[in-house]
Amino acid sequence: MKVGIVGLGTMGTTHAAGYQSVAGAKLVAVADIQPNRSHAVAERYGVRSYATLAEMLEAEDLDVVDVCLPTFLHRQAVEMAAAAGKHVFCEKPLALTPEDAKAMVDACRKAGVTLGVGHVVRFFPEYQKAKTVLAAGEMGKIGTVYMYRGGGGFPTAWQDWYARHEWSGGIVLDLMIHDLDFLLWTMGDVERVFAKSTWRRDYGRMEHALVSLRFANGVIGNVEGTWLPLESFKTEFEFAGTNGLLSHSSAHAVSFKSHQLQTPGEAGPQGVTVPRSPVTRSPYSLELEHFIDCLHKGVEPIINGEAGLRAVTLVAAAQKSIETGKPVGLERG
Amino acid sequence: MKIGIMSFAHLHAHAYVDAIRQMPGVELIGVADSDLSRGQAAADQAETKLFPTFEALLESDVDGVVITAANADHRRLTEMAAAAGKHILCEKPIATSLEDARAMEKAVKEAGVKFQMAFPCRFIPAVQNLKRQYDHGGLGRVVLIRSTNRGKMPGGFFVEPELSGGGAVIDHTVHIVDLVRWIFQTEIVEVYAEIDRHFHDIPTEDCGLLTMELANGAFMTLDPSWSRPDDFYTWGDVYLKVVGTNAVSEVDMMRQSLERIGAGKPNYEWDFWGSNSDYYLVKEFVDSFREDREPSITAADGIKALEVAAAAYESGKTKAPVRLR
Ligand SMILES: NC(=O)c1ccc[n+]([C@@H]2O[C@H](COP(=O)([O-])OP(=O)(O)OC[C@H]3O[C@@H](n4cnc5c(N)ncnc54)[C@H](O)[C@@H]3O)[C@@H](O)[C@H]2O)c1
Repeated sequence: MKVGIVGLGTMGTTHAAGYQSVAGAKLVAVADIQPNRSHAVAERYGVRSYATLAEMLEAEDLDVVDVCLPTFLHRQAVEMAAAAGKHVFCEKPLALTPEDAKAMVDACRKAGVTLGVGHVVRFFPEYQKAKTVLAAGEMGKIGTVYMYRGGGGFPTAWQDWYARHEWSGGIVLDLMIHDLDFLLWTMGDVERVFAKSTWRRDYGRMEHALVSLRFANGVIGNVEGTWLPLESFKTEFEFAGTNGLLSHSSAHAVSFKSHQLQTPGEAGPQGVTVPRSPVTRSPYSLELEHFIDCLHKGVEPIINGEAGLRAVTLVAAAQKSIETGKPVGLERG
Repeated sequence: MKIGIMSFAHLHAHAYVDAIRQMPGVELIGVADSDLSRGQAAADQAETKLFPTFEALLESDVDGVVITAANADHRRLTEMAAAAGKHILCEKPIATSLEDARAMEKAVKEAGVKFQMAFPCRFIPAVQNLKRQYDHGGLGRVVLIRSTNRGKMPGGFFVEPELSGGGAVIDHTVHIVDLVRWIFQTEIVEVYAEIDRHFHDIPTEDCGLLTMELANGAFMTLDPSWSRPDDFYTWGDVYLKVVGTNAVSEVDMMRQSLERIGAGKPNYEWDFWGSNSDYYLVKEFVDSFREDREPSITAADGIKALEVAAAAYESGKTKAPVRLR
């Protein structure tokens, strides 16, 4: 599968690295309106670079377009790629609104191409392990769940697009959708959502939100997300069931620690950040490998367009609750 | 100062007994209980005497009593003690209904006795740190709070609605609500709640999640669930994360524990070594009548906390936010 990536910011470069270890995929081209971005990646991996998706589609014979653009540009790019008959992998969130997401799902169906969405949390080993344990019923019947994500500070990006709510959708759509998608996957449909956020109340861009969820199966959920710069980025969850508690905190999942006593000499590796919880395969690579594998086999990826739409729909309900101060009901999907 | 205990229905009574026995100048003169065998066992353990009836205890020269009966009995025992002119330390929640709670407030006022609510969490040093930080402007304006007060399912009268007034929500909402009101000098103005029973086959709810708006402009969630398994490594938690404009602070009381790993059952346990907040709660009670002043935690505080729990139950039923006041 010949792959082209559009958007080479944080995620585009992560995906470019990810494809290097994906069997059955070959990154052949990249596109970014900032030439320095596209040239750097093109040089590193020996691929061709373009300024826009249209140019890349025109010049290349791609099988897959990987969309790593800012969220507000997802719909346009996905529709363009689908119209050109390309399979599409799109970063999460699929779109800004359920309407956009639905249109994208329809466009891909109509074009007969496969759409995959980058809800990468489902490929993080600690979350995968939790999914396995929960799906096996080992925790018994789940009663309450808490999930947390954030503290790494406000994301730096092209044109500061995260700071514009109409471009990023704010923290619930951008960040908390990771946990909301994971809960839809593990706990099923949500019946009702009630949410509060600092958006338009406090803090400006450093949004912090608390979401209350009631699932169709009765489970009560509490999801928290923050863009505040706390001591470090952290993820946490706890599932409380009749057979006990299943919990995780990235603050404790530290398998490697190092404290630099002296700056190494010229020759030494300077300024490298080392992961504190290293794994042999990056979840970003695994999510792409799964998608490519599904294309080869002609089967639906686990996070298809509908899954992306479902998550965006839940976010829209939470956002509506934040705006109205009222609980918002959801239809069973 | 002479103190007596009225009922051991609430297990917290034993902690008060220990606190009283450690306190200089304070004497545990006896206990009374509607369940005589339970009362006798408690009296033996505390090396004190069992009065045959509550009346007998109140007829003695006791100065103050600790009411640790089932929630539904708080009103009756408070009115008895007040009529006998005895000071009262009342276990939380203040009562099972707002009507009872208000009657209690009236009774103690008319009798001119001291009445203190048992909200020991105010005496947790980490909580006092938080208050000091807030008072000195270190936190800035409060923006949001996430809190949990989760525990094991306590059983006993706690799960009999006529005696307890409800399950996990009434049991665990009042502690955190009192802390938030006290630390930030604010009131809860709106409550939304999801309430259910998932963990145990009992007549009350055992889990929930409250989302609240505060008068100071902040919002918060509170998880009051009895969601800790029976063999959880400690009784539960008191956790508050406060996001202010100047700082983000967390209180996690039970972290002051030794981790104990062994062959026992359960084989992983936490041994709490933090300060004894029950001691300072009782001391505040005794000091209030030793110094003849209002106790710092009043019946009004008990009522405010109960109002929030009542609003949570209403919201749980109507599935809509409930405004207070
Ligand atoms: N899965 C995850 O963990 C994760 C993490 C961060 C971001 N994301 C998502 O990934 C997407 C991208 O986020 P990011 O942080 O990488 O953004 P970014 O700002 O770092 O990168 C976006 C890139 O797109 C380029 N660009 C903008 N408009 C363009 C156009 N019309 N044509 C070509 N290039 C264009 C910019 O020059 C920039 O290099 C967002 O949807 C975001 O929500 C996902």
